[in-house]
Amino acid sequence: MAENENNSVSFEEDDHRAAFIFNPGPGPGPGEESSNNKQTARPAKRRKVTTVAKADASRSQQEGSAGPAFPPLFNGAETPEAVRLRRELFETAWPVLEGRVQHVLRKANCNTLDEVSSFLRQAAGAETDKITAGFIITGPNIASQDLLFEQLAEQLCAAAQARFVRLRASEAPNLKAALKKIIRDATAARGAEEEEDVDVEVTQGGRKYLDYDLEALHVFLNQQQQQQQQQPRRVVVAFQDSEAFESGLLTDLISLFHSWRDRIQFDVLFGVATSVELFQARLLKSTARQLYGAQFDVVQANSVLESVIKNAVAGTKAGLRIGPSLLQSLVERQQDHVAGIQVFISSLKYAYMCHFYANPLSVLLAGDGRLDRKLLQPEHIEAVRTLDSFKGQAEAAVEARQLNHAQSLIEDDEYLVAQIMEQGQRRQEYLLRLLRALHLVAATGLSSASFTDSYILALSSGIDIEQSSGTVPLEDAVKRLGADEFISLINRLLAAIQAGDPELGLEGWESDAEDFGSSLTDLRDEVDGLLERSKSNRTALKSKYSAQSRVMRTTVVAQKVQLSQDTATLTEEDKAFTKAIDALLGLLSQSLQCDPVDNLFLHEVWVFDSKSPYRDVFVPRPGATFGRALSRPHDYLACACCAKANGGLASTLPATAILYHLYLEAGALINVADLWSAYYALVGEEADVGLDERSALVCFYRGLAELRMMGFVKQSKKKADHVAKSKWL
Amino acid sequence: MARRKTATEAPVPRASRKRDLPADPYDVPDEAETPRRRRRMEAASTVNGNIGGEETADGEEAQPAVELTPAKRRGRPPKSAGTGTPKAQATTPSSRRQRPLAETPVRLNGADTPSRRNIADRSARRKSARALIDRVIGGALSDDEVEEGDIAREIYESSEDEEVEADEQAGEEETQEPTTPLKSPGRKRRATGRKRSPTPPRDLPPHEQYFYQNKPGLAKTSNNTLSSLDLLTHDEYFSVLRQLKDPHAADVNFLQSLHAESFQQWAFELSQGFSTCLYGYGSKRRLLHNFATYLTSQNPSHKIVIINGYVRTLTARDILSTLTSALPPSLAPGSTSNPSTTLQTLLTNLSTTSPSTILTVLINSIDAPPLRKPALQSFLSHLASHPQIRLASTADTPDFPLLWDAGQRASLNLLFHDCTTFAAPAPCELEVVDEVHELLGRKARRAGGKEGVAFVLRSLPENARALFRLLVGEVLVAVEEQGGGGGTGEEEEVAVEYRMVYNKAVEEFICSSEMAFRTLLKEFHDHQIITSHKDSIGTELLSLPFRREELESILEELTS
Repeated sequence: MAENENNSVSFEEDDHRAAFIFNPGPGPGPGEESSNNKQTARPAKRRKVTTVAKADASRSQQEGSAGPAFPPLFNGAETPEAVRLRRELFETAWPVLEGRVQHVLRKANCNTLDEVSSFLRQAAGAETDKITAGFIITGPNIASQDLLFEQLAEQLCAAAQARFVRLRASEAPNLKAALKKIIRDATAARGAEEEEDVDVEVTQGGRKYLDYDLEALHVFLNQQQQQQQQQPRRVVVAFQDSEAFESGLLTDLISLFHSWRDRIQFDVLFGVATSVELFQARLLKSTARQLYGAQFDVVQANSVLESVIKNAVAGTKAGLRIGPSLLQSLVERQQDHVAGIQVFISSLKYAYMCHFYANPLSVLLAGDGRLDRKLLQPEHIEAVRTLDSFKGQAEAAVEARQLNHAQSLIEDDEYLVAQIMEQGQRRQEYLLRLLRALHLVAATGLSSASFTDSYILALSSGIDIEQSSGTVPLEDAVKRLGADEFISLINRLLAAIQAGDPELGLEGWESDAEDFGSSLTDLRDEVDGLLERSKSNRTALKSKYSAQSRVMRTTVVAQKVQLSQDTATLTEEDKAFTKAIDALLGLLSQSLQCDPVDNLFLHEVWVFDSKSPYRDVFVPRPGATFGRALSRPHDYLACACCAKANGGLASTLPATAILYHLYLEAGALINVADLWSAYYALVGEEADVGLDERSALVCFYRGLAELRMMGFVKQSKKKADHVAKSKWL
Repeated sequence: MARRKTATEAPVPRASRKRDLPADPYDVPDEAETPRRRRRMEAASTVNGNIGGEETADGEEAQPAVELTPAKRRGRPPKSAGTGTPKAQATTPSSRRQRPLAETPVRLNGADTPSRRNIADRSARRKSARALIDRVIGGALSDDEVEEGDIAREIYESSEDEEVEADEQAGEEETQEPTTPLKSPGRKRRATGRKRSPTPPRDLPPHEQYFYQNKPGLAKTSNNTLSSLDLLTHDEYFSVLRQLKDPHAADVNFLQSLHAESFQQWAFELSQGFSTCLYGYGSKRRLLHNFATYLTSQNPSHKIVIINGYVRTLTARDILSTLTSALPPSLAPGSTSNPSTTLQTLLTNLSTTSPSTILTVLINSIDAPPLRKPALQSFLSHLASHPQIRLASTADTPDFPLLWDAGQRASLNLLFHDCTTFAAPAPCELEVVDEVHELLGRKARRAGGKEGVAFVLRSLPENARALFRLLVGEVLVAVEEQGGGGGTGEEEEVAVEYRMVYNKAVEEFICSSEMAFRTLLKEFHDHQIITSHKDSIGTELLSLPFRREELESILEELTS
């Protein structure tokens, strides 16, 4: 305590100021010194910090103000070059991805934007005495609306020459405030170049308008029109979260706009989270009659998420792979907690940050040019040897009787380095194979799983189309194909190979898959021929598998039902078709086949699959954290005195922790006098801690005040000297 | 029919006593008396309504019933001696109650009317029933009554329980041989239906615990008060605190140094456009301060603004003016009345004119009461969403995530770190003595602080406001003259002379007569925003129960 008092001396005068500019001063104040002393008591840490600071100082000169540097890992043994490379890798990897994501997001809104602006344009031409209103169904997440309205503002300002005003319920609590905001934003929207106009018009003619008088806006718009000989400008007012507005306010605003229609052309847009019907029910009928509206839907969050995942997570451009379990939990959070897409992107970014910041092996992700032998320290090699995938590789080698390979892996550094250098190539091959397989699976149209699900499944357990054990059981579906479907399937596959998938960043790979492609074409031609022949024979072409679905025959013979199997009628063509199906299945199972990512040597270098930092950092559980700190202080303090308490009550615990224990035992109403006597009995003179009454009372006061500050207790008027419990979680 | 009889003799503690009863010479006249008494009860019960009536009927029908049952049971005792008693010794109270049934023959000499005790029980029950009804009719009740009510309820419920049990046991008796009573479902139900244990059930899930602890009438606390204890004053608190040695100081410092190792990581996160939020038990002010020092050592050119959320007078305007002064003067926006528009202009200026300037904002206690207003939080989230502003904050309560809605959360882009420090809050963060006294309802904090004053003044006429402004100005001048002892603690309250204030008020045309002046002052008195007292020679003095900073901000608000 005494120490704490000292510490605070240095910035005491700032303590009571609401806000101030931090100024450490030329020399460290007494508080600073004492804190430094405290840290020198643990020399190791202090030294680390200083070296980092020095290294950083030299580097920050090179890099300018690019932000704080990464710390050297391997207990500080990592070379500065490696550290810098990690940082560069991060800085090149993430922005690429971010750009793509932003592109996806903007594109997702594209249709809506076009529709809205063309609607407004049409409405401007039409002669009507109603206010044009666009209802944009945005869905429940208000965080993602911002981007949409921003884009709307951009587009409408540019295309429709309109003044765009965004209103949020929190900014416009009443009519006056709303009008003020509308006028201010509409007059100042064009920023600096027209600023003098604003001043002129407001005071023009010796008259000054009140700042909520729409007349001001009218005059301003007239002036604009005269100066620039343009069409009369429209004013678009967007209510971003229309549900949050008071319905009375909305009614007032709309009728006001309506009455100004002959002078100012108002259009309104409503962001609707629920449905237009509900929204309309909140308006007066007379008000609703003044609106002439249309409804627009925004792309659903799910499909946006899917395409973000395709682009940024699964696509070939992504440098780092998000592992299946982390990705699964991210997706689940999106669906279960209606977290916005922004949260997903932040989580992605954080995964990148974690990987490059804290994993020394992430340097191995560097491209061929930048990763050379000199960069790899003995620590890197040692670290590789501790990896699970290294063990797996070595064990597999032993099992496959490649003892030399295994031995060199373990003993020969150079051999291992060569292997490491190869892994970049292997990673590319694996990913290409995986993505092509997924693309083909999607192209068959036989699997109903969404891309995200099948991607996660493919990473975690590989791809296999076998019916009983596979992850993508296509076998039965393929077998049941009819001849026409068969041909169209092959056509789809060929087209998929030819076109690739731009979303995934996957180019067509006809040249790589010549064999596959040609055998597919052969099959198609063959079946085509078969189809022709069977047509001329006037029989339907069927395979062994599809015929089986009509096997049962029921005949009534002598008042008895007879069931008979019908296997006889497979023609030559049918047999050939069956063979073709088998051949296709063979081809598919060969090309649609992929290992789970865990099986790959050195996958730790390029897969980030740790849930814990993500969970701790994005979904905190403060209640549990506070509860743990207070009920088991030893977990944090690691002090010798409280070790025995083990979650129980002990007199050595901090006062607040003791009170918290007593608090947990108490009922809904707590008698402070009894609480005090229980506390004093525990820490008082008779007990081993032996505080005198006044000191104990001071501790008691502080504990109680802290409990109150944290919201555990509140005042109760039921009985004298009682407090009420206010937390049960 | 047998059911009726057992109903009357079920109550527990009689098990052993009943054997003594026949030997009691006074028993017989007593029992002879019972019918009369019963009739009286009946009368009472009809007055009382339905509640007692049923039981009385039970009692009357009991007699013929009893005469039947003994015959049935006569042969049974040997059996029960063989099987019943060992089981009864198995210490479960429920099985003990089985004995009277098995041993009824002993009582056969009596006319088997309810014993005196039984009747006493019943009349107690009736009384308690009446008490309960009265309470329900009477409506609201004081705390003391709650306790009485509990007893009444307990009596009523206990006998009801027994009756139900007895009913069930007897019901079985008719159909089933009594040798297997241990398995009876009635027993099981009783075991669950009764909660007499004084210790609350352990390990309930939180919501169950809430309902358990908030059961009406459960809150039984003693009537002890702290009257015998001499409560702490500010002075004593601080003087004792200074001598107190925290046994965990070293561990707390160690914990702090562990957190300090993450500074680099946090700085990296800030630089990537995230905001950080440090939460956990203990004051994190020191930690944040060290973090600020670290950031400065890394990059001295970046300005850092610290906002103390715990300062009760904090407003958006304070934050804004500090931000403006921290940024190059060319960015300063023109003064407008609305902080959020000013912030908007400031941020636009920042991104257009000096895109390389980076400002770090550190917020102590982002969940402190002054910052809990939605307007301020949206102000902060707006601030944080700007790419050149980096924001790090600390949170002290477990409920802080409720501060933000999805939109604010997205624009804050928060990362959370568990930074439990166990450090004691500094006196500026937490005014311990005030807090505790307020919690105990001992001394109300002065007039709701600044907001309270603003609220009161808004409802008063113009000249009242002018008078208060005058008063605040005078008091501030007096403070200045006394050498302005700022800081916390109980500084002596500065007072100004009544007469002098009156003269000034007249000069400024605030009021024309002393009468009007008094009226205005009375309004202030009523709202407890001024205090007055007489000094040793009898001059009347006026003072304001606010801290200096509060006074200053009040004055600012009044003059603006």
